[in-house]
Amino acid sequence: MTTPSPTTAPGPAPGAGNGVLGTVGLFAELKLRLLGGNLRGDAQRKVAFVLTLVVALVLAALGFFLMSLLSLAPDDIAFSVTVMAYASLLVSWMVMPLLAFGLDDTLDPAKLALFPLRTRDLALGLFTASVTGVWPLATLVVTFGGITALASGPGGVLLGVPAVLLQFALCVVASRLVTTVLSGALRSRRGRDLLAVSVILVVLVAQVPNLMMNRGLSDPTAMLHQMAVVLRWTPPGMAAHAIADGGLAGLAEIAVLAVLVVLCGWLWIKALGRALVTPEASGKSASVRRERGLVDRLLPDGPLAAVVTKELKYIRRDPRFRVNWGSALFLTLVLGISMGGDQPSDGQAVFLALLGALMIALMAGNVFGIDGRSLWMNAVVFGAERDLRADLAGRHLANAMIAVPVLAVIAVGSALYTDQAARILPALLASWGMLGVGLGVGSVTSVLLPYTVPDRMNAFTGAAPGQGGQAFAGAVAAAVAMIALAAPFVVPMLLGVLWVSAAAPFYGLLIAALGRRLAARVAHRRMPELLEAVSKPT
Amino acid sequence: MTDAVRTHGLFKRFGEQVAVAGVDLAVPAGSFAGLVGPNGAGKTTTLSMITGLLRPDGGSAEIDGFDVWRDPVQVKARIGVLPEGLRLFERLSGRELLLYNGRLRGIPKADVERRAGELLSVMDLTDAADKLVVDYSTGMRKKIGLAAALLHNPSVLFLDEPFEGVDPVSADTLTEVLRRLTASGATVIFSSHVMDLVERLCDWVSVMSAGRIVAQGPLADVRGGRSLNQAFLDLVGRSPQDGQADLSWLGARPEAGR
Repeated sequence: MTTPSPTTAPGPAPGAGNGVLGTVGLFAELKLRLLGGNLRGDAQRKVAFVLTLVVALVLAALGFFLMSLLSLAPDDIAFSVTVMAYASLLVSWMVMPLLAFGLDDTLDPAKLALFPLRTRDLALGLFTASVTGVWPLATLVVTFGGITALASGPGGVLLGVPAVLLQFALCVVASRLVTTVLSGALRSRRGRDLLAVSVILVVLVAQVPNLMMNRGLSDPTAMLHQMAVVLRWTPPGMAAHAIADGGLAGLAEIAVLAVLVVLCGWLWIKALGRALVTPEASGKSASVRRERGLVDRLLPDGPLAAVVTKELKYIRRDPRFRVNWGSALFLTLVLGISMGGDQPSDGQAVFLALLGALMIALMAGNVFGIDGRSLWMNAVVFGAERDLRADLAGRHLANAMIAVPVLAVIAVGSALYTDQAARILPALLASWGMLGVGLGVGSVTSVLLPYTVPDRMNAFTGAAPGQGGQAFAGAVAAAVAMIALAAPFVVPMLLGVLWVSAAAPFYGLLIAALGRRLAARVAHRRMPELLEAVSKPT
Repeated sequence: MTDAVRTHGLFKRFGEQVAVAGVDLAVPAGSFAGLVGPNGAGKTTTLSMITGLLRPDGGSAEIDGFDVWRDPVQVKARIGVLPEGLRLFERLSGRELLLYNGRLRGIPKADVERRAGELLSVMDLTDAADKLVVDYSTGMRKKIGLAAALLHNPSVLFLDEPFEGVDPVSADTLTEVLRRLTASGATVIFSSHVMDLVERLCDWVSVMSAGRIVAQGPLADVRGGRSLNQAFLDLVGRSPQDGQADLSWLGARPEAGR
């Protein structure tokens, strides 16, 4: 029997007649072809692929080099660092695919469900496909660096090779296990929304060591050893220890690792078998409350009230909004705490409030992007510039309804935290002014540099493929323009002339209104182009 | 009879490829018109340009005598649109979507609420009215999209593939609503490549192929005694089937069962 080619596999199960090696070869070839497919297509994709390749190879070489440098360090340091490195590799393998689905676009088991493959073949094939690629290669190289760092004799090297391979296999299998188990949940909308928001948590947790170091709570070496002690009996810790030990204890640890890998693999096959026959989680779609909102009582009936109502609902319901608001506030908080220090400088409360306003305003730098392909619903209604002005005003109003109280909390909180109660009012007024300036600038960048904001699991994904540069340029231009336009009241305040802040909110209102006017004029002329820019396939 | 829609030499090119190569579309007011053509004939591009969602590279389009690109206020008040792809404001419920749409057009809230309630009940969406659109099925999306397009009582309604992926019950609801609309004197233009449906519903047909109108007129004229399907195949021209011999294995069963 000849080996069927991977793309047209008629009749018998691929690999049915040629055993394990056939299946492995087949899937490795399939994955390589998929990777090679990146080299066809448009230039942007080619550049991105080559860039990924280069980055992965450089990281692999650098990682290996750093690991081998560890052999010069004292033994305990080298051991602790290797344990940490192995543990972070494992954790990254488990978390990264959830955050950046598509970074390592391996095979989707659902796409293979219709082929007559036994679960064992499928698992073997998917494992092969998972380890074929640049990131797995980089991981393997860095993990091998551990041998040069730790092995002290021939026993260490001898045990090191299986230890490294098992640690690597564990990374891959654990990663697949996590994605397969979660894939059911991730296919429902609620699961995706939840994940998108919980990404904030991951970022937050990742900041903790940083913050601790900044606060000088402990010296780095002691902390490193403490963490290594905790991780000593986890699988990565055992792998590292096996290499360093090189004796019977190491052998036992390798046996444990092997059992763990097989166990994870078995669980993965079970999960895969279940995932393939379980239908998509039928999202139990909850009803939303019908409300007679506050908005309708405050605003006259008309387009403006409609936009404000819709925007407020979106801020509450769309994970991308929640992630944006969450990270803006979180960044302000982190900066506030890390700058807090022992002797706060004079302008700190004002600075923090201004920063918070800038962060919030930066979110409004691409207001049409989140509407994305739904924007046509507005486009078929808006016939005149006036309509677009009302739309932008509604968005600004909705944003301000949340931002104004939030900024008040930031101003009061940071002033009290730094013991500068007298600065509350200037900080508050200045931050509102900054918000107005930011919203005005944001509406202009929204129409001049619009880009598509993908609606997918990773809510941190900034822009559709190929628009990343535009998104970055937009954000930088917006930030620069916001700061420049805020200078008339910020600079005097920095020089100590605090009464200027009284005028800041009015100045902000003026800039916001001018921004809306300019943006509406541009958007009215460029509506089809705007629509196209925010409707890119993602 | 005046024309509800008329275009002159409408032209659009994407890079090298010419998507629409000078379309002269004419649809009389009050007709139920079908725009048919094979995949890639330029139907969606044409409809997008007529509804002001895509800027043409050349030519002009008029609706009720108003130029689409020079007089957008008049045109946009008169047209209702249901594009393909069905991206709606997904995080609103069906009812909220209709309310947003109506109020954005400046219709008083009380009126919008009444109309939305009636549309939801006609479309059989009352039970799902307070669920988020993101959780809707294809059929429900088409229906809520049509409801949103009808809310301001348009005189010309553009629908891109309104029946694709819709179950027979929902399709029947859609056709009922559209028939009532045309009976009141409004014009409906929809694109499709399901000939039976076009034959059953339409009194006016425009056939597109490779970016041009190849036939246009009352259904009977275009059909010319044949079935519309046959007329369509004759007009569009089927590519010669020279590959049939290669399919000899298809349907053959191996002697020994595996």
